[in-house]
Amino acid sequence: MQALLIEDDIEAARILVKGLRESGYQVEHAADGASGRSLACEQRYDIVITDRMLPQVDGLAIIEAMRGRGVTTPVLVLSALGGVDDRVRGLKAGGDDYLTKPFAFAELLARMEALLRRQAQAHSTTRLRVEDLEFDLLARRVTRGGRELELTARELKLLEFLMRRAGQVVTRTMLLEGVWDLHFDPQSNLIDVHISRLRQAVDRGTDQPLIHTVRGTGYVLRREG
Amino acid sequence: MRLNLFHTTAFRLSAGYTLLLTLAVGVTLGSAYLLTGRLVTAEVDLIIDTELKSLEDKFARGGIAGLTEEINLRADSWGRIGAVYLLADPAFERLAGNVTEWPFEGLPSERYPEFEIETIEPGRRALHPVRAALRRLPGGDLLLVGTDISQGRGFAEQFRIATLWGVGLSTLAAALAGFWFSFRLARRVGEVAETCQRIMAGEAGRRLPLAGARDEFDALAGAVNGVLDRLEEQARTLRATFDSAAHDLRAPLHRLRTRLEALLRASPALEPPLHESLEAGLREIEHLQRTLATLLQIALAESGAAPAAAAAVDLAQLTAELAELFEPVAATRGLTLASELQGPAVVQGNRQLLAQLLTNLIENGLKYVPSGGRIELAVRSLAGAVRLSVSDNGPGIDPANRARAGQPFVRFGAAAAEEGSGLGLSLVAAIVRLHRGRLELQGNDPGLRVLVELPASA
Repeated sequence: MQALLIEDDIEAARILVKGLRESGYQVEHAADGASGRSLACEQRYDIVITDRMLPQVDGLAIIEAMRGRGVTTPVLVLSALGGVDDRVRGLKAGGDDYLTKPFAFAELLARMEALLRRQAQAHSTTRLRVEDLEFDLLARRVTRGGRELELTARELKLLEFLMRRAGQVVTRTMLLEGVWDLHFDPQSNLIDVHISRLRQAVDRGTDQPLIHTVRGTGYVLRREG
Repeated sequence: MRLNLFHTTAFRLSAGYTLLLTLAVGVTLGSAYLLTGRLVTAEVDLIIDTELKSLEDKFARGGIAGLTEEINLRADSWGRIGAVYLLADPAFERLAGNVTEWPFEGLPSERYPEFEIETIEPGRRALHPVRAALRRLPGGDLLLVGTDISQGRGFAEQFRIATLWGVGLSTLAAALAGFWFSFRLARRVGEVAETCQRIMAGEAGRRLPLAGARDEFDALAGAVNGVLDRLEEQARTLRATFDSAAHDLRAPLHRLRTRLEALLRASPALEPPLHESLEAGLREIEHLQRTLATLLQIALAESGAAPAAAAAVDLAQLTAELAELFEPVAATRGLTLASELQGPAVVQGNRQLLAQLLTNLIENGLKYVPSGGRIELAVRSLAGAVRLSVSDNGPGIDPANRARAGQPFVRFGAAAAEEGSGLGLSLVAAIVRLHRGRLELQGNDPGLRVLVELPASA
């Protein structure tokens, strides 16, 4: 996978590039907005990660330039601005996701993966299936091994979110954003408790658990542990 | 914004002014009328007295015969000057004069009695008021001298009608002018009030309209616009300052975190004690990060004139969602999270900030209410407002400390030992202020009740 990182903080960028390479990405780094913009518009990257505040050309201007030229590469915006309207502005400008600094490296990886998979995935499906777990999206019915599961509306939404990203690590903040539309971090271990309830419903009484905890990061729904 | 015209100062002033003007014009014209009437009467009385005097002189010189002759000489004086003469005996029988009979029942008591004479003038009968005086002559005969006052009466009547018209018209004119004046004033003040409200609602770039009349309103609007320009400029500067502060604080924190995480990923893996203390360091960074984020959010909320990205938010719906989100956590801590929501309860605001407000209040309850306790969320619509209350039966806050509870970094009693930044309620207070609401902390006997009132969306 080809990634472009546009970041003027050389020190932070160096470590990020190293981490991404270790995670299997081929990464190029642009240290200012102008060179970042011309690289980003070349369309040879699978994903662009750009800082919001850059000298000369800022992150949002880069996205606008890309979208203006029809470049659809997914863009993840990194920002030191964490105001509620900064995020909105970042997404409005055409960014696909927004991450406030400082962030956990694992969070960045999970969101990059989600953006890359989103590109590949067709959303028009009416039925999700992971092993013997089936989700009928039209009837809002879930069965595990043919047995119907009783789930609340929110649990259904949570399970759908996980099943659509089966095999991918999903972080707690991604779940808060995607399932509850909350863009801040409550202090309580809310998500863990909701997942454990869902796990009770989905995995209890089976010898093959599907919902797994990824230590320090989040959760993943897949076959083996 | 439409002002109630009848409640405006301008309307009250002009109503008072109209009343005063009516009174002044009424008194002026009324006293002129009375004075003129009195003057005219005095002149008539003087004429009558003079005539009487001259006829008494004739009587003194020529006796009754001389007087009778004189009166007969003046028989045509009614037609010429409207004068009336009558000489009658003690039994009121006419002896001479241009009146056919004694006009009174016996002797009138007034000094200048009045009566009416019926005349036949070409084409019509007319009644003429006459003012008179009488003398008893030596010998007992009565001498009556009078004069036609119909002209004076007509003049007085016209004067009276003119006075009434004058008072009426000036009252009407004053009332119309006052109404127009207060209407115009109310409209311009209403425009100013409406613009101010819009600015408060987030249209920071809006300015008061100038009528171009260079009047006192334009002067006022100009001055207010100057203040608004200044405030907007300050808000911009403040915002830029916060942005730089956020950037300059987060960037090194970001580098620190990135480095620590890179160390944790390093291979070969670090010695376990080193690994653990690095992880502890990361947790400290997360705590610092959270405090910084909350502080910046408070600062942004306090500096803002209106919530960013404001939209209609049903607080009952949002509270239901958060209650559902927090209910499992509350259950694991042995707490009951109940809600009584009467929706829709729509306010104009930022959904994320309102959710953060609810989150902080619920998390406060989770933190301080001991196991077995209860947290109640209630939302209902009042007239023009939406009221949210979060009540618990935990330790509560001492009444003396409640007012300070919303200040940053303030914690009490058991809470002081707890983890947390002490910023939770400050952020709640800032969000409430940003949404132009009211925050109140009450006792719940036992426990705490936090009341938040936000203006209902129009």
